[in-house]
Amino acid sequence: MAWLKKLSPRLFLFLAVIGPGIIAANADNDAGGITTYSIAGAHFGTKMLWILLLITFSLAITQEMGVRIGLVTRQGLGGVIRENFGVRWTAFAMLAMLVANLGTMTAEFAGVAAAFEIFDVSKFLVVPLAALLIWLILFKGSFKTTQKIFLIFSCFYIVYIINGFLIKPDFGQAVKDMVTPTIEWTTPFLLTMIALIGTTITPWGQFFIQSYVVDKGLNLKQYKMEKLEVFIGAFITDIVSFFIIISTAATLYKYGIHITDAKDAAIALRPLAGNLAQYLFAFGLFSASMLGAFILPTATAYAFCEAFGWESGFNTTWENGKFFYGIILLSLVLPALIVLLPKISLIKIMILSQDVNGILLPFILIFVMKIINDKKIMGEHTNKPIGNIISWCTIVGIIAATIILVVSSIVGLN
Amino acid sequence: MPYLSGLLNSKIVDSTDEVVGKLKDVYIHPRVGEYAPLYYLEIKPLHKKHSVFVPYNFVENFSKEEISLKTVFSKIPTEHVLPDHYLGLSHYVMDQQIVDMVGARVVRVNDLRIGDFEDKMCVLGIDVSFSGLLRRLGLTFLDVFKVLKVNLIDWRKAQPVKGVLKLDMVAKELTHLHPADLANIVEDLSIRSGSKLVNSLDAESAAKVLEEIDPKLQKLLVHQLTPEQTTRILTKMSVDEVVDLLKGLPDEEGQTILSYLQNGKLKKIKKLLHYKDDTAGGLMTTDYIGVKPDWTVKQAVKEIKKNFDIMRSILYVYATDENEKFLGAVSMRWLLISEPDLLIRDLLKEVSPSSILHPEQPVRDVINVMTKYDLNMAAVVDENNKMLGVVSIDDIMRHLAPHA
Repeated sequence: MAWLKKLSPRLFLFLAVIGPGIIAANADNDAGGITTYSIAGAHFGTKMLWILLLITFSLAITQEMGVRIGLVTRQGLGGVIRENFGVRWTAFAMLAMLVANLGTMTAEFAGVAAAFEIFDVSKFLVVPLAALLIWLILFKGSFKTTQKIFLIFSCFYIVYIINGFLIKPDFGQAVKDMVTPTIEWTTPFLLTMIALIGTTITPWGQFFIQSYVVDKGLNLKQYKMEKLEVFIGAFITDIVSFFIIISTAATLYKYGIHITDAKDAAIALRPLAGNLAQYLFAFGLFSASMLGAFILPTATAYAFCEAFGWESGFNTTWENGKFFYGIILLSLVLPALIVLLPKISLIKIMILSQDVNGILLPFILIFVMKIINDKKIMGEHTNKPIGNIISWCTIVGIIAATIILVVSSIVGLN
Repeated sequence: MPYLSGLLNSKIVDSTDEVVGKLKDVYIHPRVGEYAPLYYLEIKPLHKKHSVFVPYNFVENFSKEEISLKTVFSKIPTEHVLPDHYLGLSHYVMDQQIVDMVGARVVRVNDLRIGDFEDKMCVLGIDVSFSGLLRRLGLTFLDVFKVLKVNLIDWRKAQPVKGVLKLDMVAKELTHLHPADLANIVEDLSIRSGSKLVNSLDAESAAKVLEEIDPKLQKLLVHQLTPEQTTRILTKMSVDEVVDLLKGLPDEEGQTILSYLQNGKLKKIKKLLHYKDDTAGGLMTTDYIGVKPDWTVKQAVKEIKKNFDIMRSILYVYATDENEKFLGAVSMRWLLISEPDLLIRDLLKEVSPSSILHPEQPVRDVINVMTKYDLNMAAVVDENNKMLGVVSIDDIMRHLAPHA
């Protein structure tokens, strides 16, 4: 890369920090992500695009805060919470993250099952196999290489962008919907809306980006470049989300087709891939699910061990690392079992798990906000007013939506 | 004997049995290798905004059942600020990372055990167990069958790594650990605490620890240190390790550190920086013991003694002529059994030219040569047969398993 350094120093500086933002953002579009965006488009057309536009800013801002806390404290989020809020709040935060992550893992396995359903392969075969494969690779294989492979696979999202142009959607309507907030006071709409937020900004994403920055060893001098990377990452993710939504809006919503399984969602890719659409979708769903399923168990276990001072890493013995291995096993076995329940709707799992993420997100974000505005922790790197406004709006927005959802389901608005 | 978690936020009564306030924190003045006596209680008086510090000798009873004072609260000379060397247990020790020196690992403080030691109320132990965690959470009832064991670390065998504790005190105790264990500890700490710990060690131990640390983390730790601090440690590291470290740093930072190093070492380092990592030149170190053929065994032994402290392994001495041309090597074994008056020249044996390395040779070649000739160390020479340095088995192992 020496030649690049001479040729274009700025580009070199940027490439040196690349990773955290893009990877975190890309991994956001996992099984739960694809499903939620597909459903948002198929069931409600382009009506939710305004939310997508708003949460793009929220995603950028919240991820940037994670980066900043990581750079200043040089610790993961779990460790920072423990050292500043004590053990009770830590237990609370970690429990919230655990539940959210178990939900997401369930979505990933549901994604694997749904992908193979297209080929008529039983979930009772593929889900245990996938769990076993992940366990083996985590133990014996190269985590990094595997992560890269699935990351490259998940570039399949580009097909949605091409597809989005091929179907010649009504871009005018899309832009109009993007700037005019519309809300339906129905349970399905609110559920989808919270899932949309919860799949884009996630509790684990907050933990993940902070640890990534610390592990990659970026320093404060690289902050500006890293910030740019995070913003670009957020933008790219939501561009993809945008095209998934308009693709399903133009193909499914238009004809009133509701998504009940992966085959329905795959119809959206017909304009590009024709009869191959199903296979293309299955491949994309599978690799996206596997990428998430690889990252999540270890990320969860590391965060717990950091917060509670347990030994971690794959080179510890079973005796010393019982919590570390225990959490990894738990996040593989329990979600796999849930997916294997007979007659459970895979699509519902995928979207409801994102709701769980969305509902738990504000709790994690409040910790992030307390930390980032604490001068004792952050020194001169506390938040600017604009960051605070956007973050608090996100938090209040989700909480309000959740309350309305709960009330509406009790009163039975639907 | 109480746990700190059971005492914090308890009500405090004075000699009139009036409730005067709540316990906020307990302050100690830690010394290495001693149980820490309690010096001050931080009390938040009833109906007042700011807390005050009450000297511990005004405390009558300090237990889970009751915390009481000997006199009337208003008569006690309380402090409003404490000097920096006092350490609040709740603030600076609870929930923080500490180094368990017996287990040579990093753990988090879940709770603190307090009790009498030589008639003084002291911090005796650190609870790092899961049951300590449950106690803090108020969930002890979950352990119905009492299967969870409390795991206490002796306070004297633990080292906080954060806060106001003087770090040079920490260092003394820690240097008893093996550098490889210490390196593991540093790897487990947050980077900031880790670099603090490395920097608190004396230069020699710090150098040894830094050499054992994963190269990627090495780079991060150095980022956290000032160039002066880095230089202090680097001057005690072997030349080849310094070169490896500098290669991993951004140009600018490497240059700054180079400019701080003294001349002698600088020259050697600059020379080595040119070689690629996976060649004999990149692996070798220029730290070796050179002797002249007309020296006696006695002189060679004296030379070894002189350099003993800066070199980690001395297996051979290397003989060169007046133009620094390589003549051969004599093993420690031979030096040990030979008469002191014998000349080095007479101990030198015929050396097969193919057992001598050249700097551009790839690491595969180096391994082949060393395996074939059963060498623990091999000499590296340039095209004019001038001695450049030596590659040791150690250097190769480190190259093959950089993360171990």
